[in-house]
Amino acid sequence: MSVAQQPSSSAIPTSAPESAAPEEDIVLEVQDLHVYFYTQIGVVRALNGVSFKIPRGKVLGIVGESGCGKSQTSLATMQLIPRPGKVESGKILFREFNNQEPIDLLTLERNSDEMRNIRGDNISMIFQEPMTSLNPCYTVGDQIKEAIILHQGVDKEEAHTRAVDILRKVGMPNPERIAISYPHQLSGGMRQRAMIAMALSCTPTLLIADEPTTALDVTTEAQILELMRDLQREIGMSIMFITHNLGVVAQMCDEVAVMYLGRIVEWASVDDIFYNPKHPYTILLLRSIPRLGSEEHIRLESIKGSVPDPYTRVPGCPFHPRCPSFMPGLCDVEEPPETTVDGNARHTVRCHLYT
Amino acid sequence: MTTVPSDDILLEVKDLKKHFPIHGGLLRRVVGQVKAVDGVNFYIKKGETLGLVGESGCGKSTTGRTVMRLLEPTAGEVIFDDPKLGKVNVAKLDSKQLKQVRPNMQIIFQDPFSSLDPRMTVGRIIAEPLVINNVASGQALRDRVADLLTVVGLRPEHASRYPHAFSGGQRQRIGIARALALNPKLIICDEPVSALDVSIQAQVLNLLEDLQKQFDLTYLFIAHDLSVVEHISNRVAVMYVGYLVEMASTEELYHNPKHPYTEALLAAIPKPDPRNRHRPIRLPGDVPSPANPPSGCYFHPRCRYAKDICKVERPKLRDVGNEHWAACHFAEELQLAGVPRYGKSAHAMPLPTVPPPLPNKTKSESAPAPVSGD
Ligand SMILES: Nc1ncnc2c1ncn2[C@@H]1O[C@H](COP(=O)(O)OP(=O)(O)O)[C@@H](O)[C@H]1O
Ligand SMILES: Nc1ncnc2c1ncn2[C@@H]1O[C@H](COP(=O)(O)OP(=O)(O)O)[C@@H](O)[C@H]1O
Ligand code: SF4
Ligand SMILES: [Mg+2]
Ligand SMILES: [Mg+2]
Repeated sequence: MSVAQQPSSSAIPTSAPESAAPEEDIVLEVQDLHVYFYTQIGVVRALNGVSFKIPRGKVLGIVGESGCGKSQTSLATMQLIPRPGKVESGKILFREFNNQEPIDLLTLERNSDEMRNIRGDNISMIFQEPMTSLNPCYTVGDQIKEAIILHQGVDKEEAHTRAVDILRKVGMPNPERIAISYPHQLSGGMRQRAMIAMALSCTPTLLIADEPTTALDVTTEAQILELMRDLQREIGMSIMFITHNLGVVAQMCDEVAVMYLGRIVEWASVDDIFYNPKHPYTILLLRSIPRLGSEEHIRLESIKGSVPDPYTRVPGCPFHPRCPSFMPGLCDVEEPPETTVDGNARHTVRCHLYT
Repeated sequence: MTTVPSDDILLEVKDLKKHFPIHGGLLRRVVGQVKAVDGVNFYIKKGETLGLVGESGCGKSTTGRTVMRLLEPTAGEVIFDDPKLGKVNVAKLDSKQLKQVRPNMQIIFQDPFSSLDPRMTVGRIIAEPLVINNVASGQALRDRVADLLTVVGLRPEHASRYPHAFSGGQRQRIGIARALALNPKLIICDEPVSALDVSIQAQVLNLLEDLQKQFDLTYLFIAHDLSVVEHISNRVAVMYVGYLVEMASTEELYHNPKHPYTEALLAAIPKPDPRNRHRPIRLPGDVPSPANPPSGCYFHPRCRYAKDICKVERPKLRDVGNEHWAACHFAEELQLAGVPRYGKSAHAMPLPTVPPPLPNKTKSESAPAPVSGD
């Protein structure tokens, strides 16, 4: 029952497999993902054809306002979409190693051993709230040890050494002591580090970070981001970094996907997103944040209205009711296809200004 | 404590303290004190916005609530220039006097979801302060509510709906309308935009600025987002474990900080510019507990400039020139880094502009579908 809109013929096809450089090493490739929630009062189309790729060793930022589908994208990748949500259609291709035949994660049973192994060994996830992944009843060290024993098949003693090592790596001041502490004995920043330590204990190929610093103070946030950057370089993992903070995006990401109402409306290198943005939504987001250090007082740009109710379906371009570039008769009728920007296959946009 | 003429000052807080007792043991005896606010001094000039920043747990909200006397102060004075009564010490007023002064001081909270009673219509929520204070009734009351809704960018017919029917930004507007109902002089904004998405945050910040001009309001603006505070404030105070460590004009504080804590906070802001990536200053450890603060300067265990004197002597907040106040033994000597001036640094990110609609693609005259909200 897929309702994917076919790109109109005038569109230049983009980021399709053939246009990508053949040697490109892609860890995760999501193709035309649709996730719907069948609720009592109607269907919520949480994801409406999301496609993106994460190259090995790179950080892809996913940005957008709340409700645009960032978390559902990450949960779908882990096969963790909660009821009454369902993946309607799409592919999630994962390659642990370069040149390997990809596995479509969506073809795996969500509770199968294979999927569980992928969740434990290859793809890890960290959240805004560390207590969603830490068990309050066990010490931090025991939890990391258990994960290591389960996935790396080493003995208890070796697991302990590795657990303390990883706690040291995430910048814990006294890793031996932290290992015997319970989560509630740690501060918010320390708990976030403990969760990262646990996620990294299996040296994942892909780390999914869903707003990992949103609840923290700037000082702690800056330290966690620095830590993630260092570890990412060291381990060489790829990261799907979900955030609504454009400052964090600029500091952390290599590539950025901007989402609106369950679609990716612009995708580009982080430099292009900030220095050459094309989609009116991306531009307005950049204009709505205060500029630190400005001499004169520049009035903030606000985007009129708010994200529509998730049960309604917006015809045409999902952003048209709020868009200053709205072109009647076109934007409210046809959904804009994805096109490339200035012939750059690594910069795509979905907007009729560029079709 | 300041050279600013007293007539220009709307609120002056002197040595304000709020300690919460810690009870322990079987007899629930007082075994200690959480010194959430411990000797805070500041002033706010009429018509200006004073930003109050600091990491969570530093005592910002407790300061705001104690100023409003939603919490009883442990010690100190809160001198407020009431339009009718003149200068009064809010901390010492009896309940009758407090009732007279209160309408002039209002507070808006962070969470627009929990601060509005879900069982009351928006009209009743906004009318409540008018009814309690016998300001209006009947048609006059309904007119005033309709006015207030319009002022904050909502529609008069929204009065009959319940809060759950509104988005986060709209609920914050309802909270603002209620705060405006009694024509206050001072509004304490406690993290009013922290829970909102950036585009909605911009709407609410613009609204607060417009209302300030229109109604000659004075704001104490509490927030942990330093970019937002820079944008909205004329002056900024930085709080650390119940104490102000720095206060200056926004320009001075951001470009020329005099306290190492301020320097570390500014360095930690993730700058929205990928060509300007940086490593933050290491700020080891966490904010200490106000129940058991360190000796000397409370910041010394985390401060990279700390010397022996910092462990034993607590620096006082003092004017280091031009109404720039700092509580550091070395405020005059240290050369601290502020944020670079935007537009002057090598990589000034241009502000992108939204392209106009393309006339050749516009196919009909139909207007865009109406959006709820504005
Ligand atoms: N349990 C649920 N029932 C119905 N709709 C849901 C449920 N969970 C999420 N959604 C919808 O999915 C959409 C995307 O949500 P989400 O991915 O959490 O957004 P984000 O992480 O970007 O804030 C939203 O419109 C939301 O209403
Ligand atoms: N009612 C209370 N009882 C005991 N401690 C409190 C109470 N309210 C706040 N505190 C403590 O006072 C300190 C300051 O809190 P708060 O003013 O909320 O800080 P901020 O708003 O800067 O995050 C914190 O350590 C907090 O735990
Ligand atoms: S397609 Fe039309 S409505 Fe949508 S973003 Fe582009 S100009 Fe705006
Ligand atoms: Mg989310
Ligand atoms: Mg607070």
